[in-house]
Amino acid sequence: MKTKFLVLIILFFSFKMSAQEQKMSAQEIVKFKETIENQSKNIKTIKTDFVQIKHMDFLTKDIETSGKMYFKSPNLLNWQYTKPYQYSIIFKNNKVYINDQGNKSTVDAKSKIFEKINKLIVGSVSGNMFDDKEFDISYFKTKEHYITKLIPKTASIKKMIKQIDLYFPLKDATVSEVKLIESSGDYTKIIFKNKVINAKIDDSVFTN
Amino acid sequence: MQKLMIRYLLISAFFTLFISCKSYQVQDAVSVDNSLQFVQNQYFSDVSLDYVYKTHIEIYGNKMGGIFIAKRINDSIHRMVLTTDFGNKLLDFEISENSFKVNFIIDNLDKKIIINTLRDDFRTLLQVNSKVFKTYKRNNEVIYQTENNAYYYFDEVSRNLTKIIKTNKRKEKVVFTFDSKKTTFAENINIQHFNIKLKIDFNQISN
Repeated sequence: MKTKFLVLIILFFSFKMSAQEQKMSAQEIVKFKETIENQSKNIKTIKTDFVQIKHMDFLTKDIETSGKMYFKSPNLLNWQYTKPYQYSIIFKNNKVYINDQGNKSTVDAKSKIFEKINKLIVGSVSGNMFDDKEFDISYFKTKEHYITKLIPKTASIKKMIKQIDLYFPLKDATVSEVKLIESSGDYTKIIFKNKVINAKIDDSVFTN
Repeated sequence: MQKLMIRYLLISAFFTLFISCKSYQVQDAVSVDNSLQFVQNQYFSDVSLDYVYKTHIEIYGNKMGGIFIAKRINDSIHRMVLTTDFGNKLLDFEISENSFKVNFIIDNLDKKIIINTLRDDFRTLLQVNSKVFKTYKRNNEVIYQTENNAYYYFDEVSRNLTKIIKTNKRKEKVVFTFDSKKTTFAENINIQHFNIKLKIDFNQISN
């Protein structure tokens, strides 16, 4: 009797789970991609706060860091941690400027890997990551979100990231949450808050 | 003339041998009876805590930063992870006194010499109990020499572990310096190598 009850509960919850996350239809996918691509074409700047949560199964508590992100089309980016320590990384003119608690350094970013990182960050925020060459992409929706799940095709990236989930609120065509899942199952979750699209951002924001 | 030359060579050879064979000694310290069988480094000993530090590594002039996370998962094993500031893992080790397991390491760091150096450093840093071989005293310090020639320096007043010096019997190889307000937690840690150009700094992150 007890086991039957348990099976029922498990069944109920698994139904509930699958009811929560549904696959999008082919038609829905076309429409969704169109919306995101159109919206990201119109993005000149993005200004947002973010919270980054690092989850590792062996830890008692997740590690939380937070900060601000500024993006100016086509390729100015400042990713800045303000809590619990100061760290900023600026992508500008094929260079990466790092300010690590006052220790400044510059890296030449002409390499392919930095190009990819830049594309990944900008794509993660705007949501325009429908690159079939780089990822196997599947599309889902819940009551609150559209979710795209990207599985990297390149072996070197696959070793570090098993899957990237992008969450789009139904009424907003930009990303509200990114989840980077490692092959171990540990993940990094980035939640964007107070996002402003196309606000005026001074170029001085992108100097170290 | 030749005889003189040989004699000179012999003397200088003997002299060099004598100097270089001089074993590592703690200056001005006096040997005392062992009061402990095991010396304890309590800075990573609490199984209920996640130890999280901002890390700066400087290796042959190249600087990199990240986050160091360590946790004692049972009596003998520590799990330790190094990530970038973005949170992606650079390496993930499980270390005990006699065992070592690589759960993950990025390709750029996957070299035997790097892994072995980091393994040895982190093993010393994380190991809670080490068997005492000799004990010394100097001013306000008690110094425990372990069987594998590491020297643990304690402040006699605060009882805090202030330094671990690893030697190759003759010279200092690596020095671990701890900055702590209590015996169980170090706010800042520095690892300095002397035979290679490697320096690692850890600063506590209050989460």
